[in-house]
Amino acid sequence: MAEHATAQETLFALREQIARLEGKSLPALAAAEQADSAADPEGRKAKDNQPRLPFGITQMDTALEGGLPLDGITEIRSLLMGDAGAASGFALSLASYLKARQPNEVPVLWIGDVVSTQEAGIPYSVGLKQFGLSSRDVLYASPRKLDDALWLAETAVASRALVAVILEIRGNPRHFGLTESRRLGLRAKAAGRPLFLLRHGGEEEASSASFRFLVEPAPAAPRHLPNGSVLGGSIGHPVFRLTLEKSRNPAPLSLLLEWNPYERQFSLGKDTGEAFSFRNPPAHPGARLPASADRQDRAPALGTVMAFERAS
Amino acid sequence: MRLTALDEVSERLGLKRGQGLAEARAMFPKIDVADEDDAADQSLLEAIADWCDRYTPLVALDGREGLFLDITGCAHLFGGEEALLKDILGRLLQMGFDVKGAISSSPGLSWAACRFGRGGVIADQVTQEVLAPLPVNALRIDETTIASLYKLGLKRIGDLLPMPRAPLARRFGTHLLLRLDQALGNNEEAISPRRPVAALSAERRLAEPIQAEEHILQLTGQIAISLKSELEARGVGGRVFELVLFRVDGRVFRIAAGASQPLQDPKRISSLFSERLNAVHDHLDAGFGFELLRLNVLQYDIFKILQGDFTGNGDSEISLADFVDRVSARLGADCLQVAEPKQSHVPERAEVFVPAIAARIVREKPEEIFTFVPRSDRPLRLFRHPEPVEAFAATVPDGPPQRFRWRRIVHKVIRAEGPERISPEWWHDEEDAEERDYFRLESEAGRRFWVFRAGHYVAGKTAPTWRVHGIFA
Repeated sequence: MAEHATAQETLFALREQIARLEGKSLPALAAAEQADSAADPEGRKAKDNQPRLPFGITQMDTALEGGLPLDGITEIRSLLMGDAGAASGFALSLASYLKARQPNEVPVLWIGDVVSTQEAGIPYSVGLKQFGLSSRDVLYASPRKLDDALWLAETAVASRALVAVILEIRGNPRHFGLTESRRLGLRAKAAGRPLFLLRHGGEEEASSASFRFLVEPAPAAPRHLPNGSVLGGSIGHPVFRLTLEKSRNPAPLSLLLEWNPYERQFSLGKDTGEAFSFRNPPAHPGARLPASADRQDRAPALGTVMAFERAS
Repeated sequence: MRLTALDEVSERLGLKRGQGLAEARAMFPKIDVADEDDAADQSLLEAIADWCDRYTPLVALDGREGLFLDITGCAHLFGGEEALLKDILGRLLQMGFDVKGAISSSPGLSWAACRFGRGGVIADQVTQEVLAPLPVNALRIDETTIASLYKLGLKRIGDLLPMPRAPLARRFGTHLLLRLDQALGNNEEAISPRRPVAALSAERRLAEPIQAEEHILQLTGQIAISLKSELEARGVGGRVFELVLFRVDGRVFRIAAGASQPLQDPKRISSLFSERLNAVHDHLDAGFGFELLRLNVLQYDIFKILQGDFTGNGDSEISLADFVDRVSARLGADCLQVAEPKQSHVPERAEVFVPAIAARIVREKPEEIFTFVPRSDRPLRLFRHPEPVEAFAATVPDGPPQRFRWRRIVHKVIRAEGPERISPEWWHDEEDAEERDYFRLESEAGRRFWVFRAGHYVAGKTAPTWRVHGIFA
């Protein structure tokens, strides 16, 4: 019996170790922690060794288990290259938010992608200043190859010399798969520095990012006049339409997030109350008819394939 | 075509420089002739000059076939002047060059002794005796002066020495006397070295050549240790270092690496080169190994001694500098940049990108550069070249378009702010540069653009062009 208990204990310890390696919270562990925290709320904070950056928005913070992780990869994805403004805006606003809470002189590193720079432009320092990041807060890197960019990101994260690293990539390059992202994730974990992976026009892909946001553009908030009224037809603070695609929380979260560059603070967009689930509707809804070449195509098979016919 | 150079055999045959090729062929039909390649000759001479850097940092090219080495203060390192000359000539002979050399107290005398005399080491006391029997050609003067001296029977320098100076100067110009004085050592002549002399340098000669990169790095670290005390004594740290690798067969590699902060620490210096060696890996052909390594400090700056605090947090600045150095060493200084504000209201001129490695010093300036702070919003990302758009149904004369097509997609404008007029800078731009009216446009999908109209709608003229200059978050 005693032997059994020891084995259990070893097993539990190993599980705990694995959970820690993977950055997950074990159900049993979490339950124990909750019991702990009920008894001693201060102790929980001390125990929680994962640095988090709370947004100050309850919905967001619950979904992110306390806030943005500061020791790992957070992926920010856009559907199209045309949404680069919204996606890079969200990444840079996160960097600015983080920078505002760390009062040292350490800059943020922006690792640009060559094609994305041609397609969507270079981050503009005057605009960045209005966005909450002064020109000395940002270092721009423009590596020619993806390998160089990955090396740069790894070195930057491991050096702990930067507040945050933003790695911009386009699409789903073959040389940046799960192995590479896992490696970057481990580096970030060891160094305790955040890495924002900004993926323009990419598919959902397995990676070691603990959270993945889908960013879509949303109409900006209107400008407010000093007396509190709204100036009609004006374009004010930027608003991002965020969808939390990957998280440990099963329910997907969708909300409008407004970034206030002056106060360097996020807030919920005004019309978040109505639950929206629509995205841009496809231009041509309905099933596509196959294009006919020199004669009529045969009718497409009905239904979905349940099983293939026997080969022999 | 004429002969410009001869080898030993053809010299023995009696051929002369400047002889016609047809004549030489008629005399000796079997001679082998090759076209002269000036560039190759020059690069060979420069390679030899590079190799001569092992003896002294002051090496100057002399025309197409000679080198001047300023060995002031270097001879004792090689066991005296005799031994130095023997070493240089012996090594060059082993490489397959037939070289003559002379050491004397003036470049003019050495030049004369090499080309017209026996060479060797010439002591100061015997200058006149050595110079007297040499022909006047040995004075580095032009052909016409030589010819007229010959006409007068002044064939040797010894004939000129007892002559009164004033009539000589009147007849042949002061250049002849200058050359004579330079040869005698009465007039100081400076040679112009090929490379600037390093502020500091340390080297290590090896009995056994090394090839492996880790050995090179290890040795670089050791040399850096010997440099450290000198740097500390001066209170400076190196900004640009150069590692010079002398290969056994005479080839010389120079690898430069810059640092964003003045460095003294040998470890950081050698780590600078470890990135650099990774980057130049393919170009560094170790061959049979390197026999001499030298570490030069090309640029230096005042080194600020920082005291670490007890919490150990003070090192973040150092690690940032370290990071910048590593990246710049590996991917080039242009890879990592910072934006410096510029004094201009034209959007694309309001910033300039400078390498981060150079910007550190600029940053430490206490005074802020006055910059134009725009009142209205500027985009988050700016296009290097504004891209043309087709604007539809724009309100004439100065309104925003209702729709516009950019990159084959039509965007319907929902909200617009503007116009903001930005005039060209007359002190930079051409006279016909156009005023721009900028608008912030928000499309139906929520994308925000910075679009401008170049010029105005004028009746009877073609409509002005519209361009998109940036995108907002």
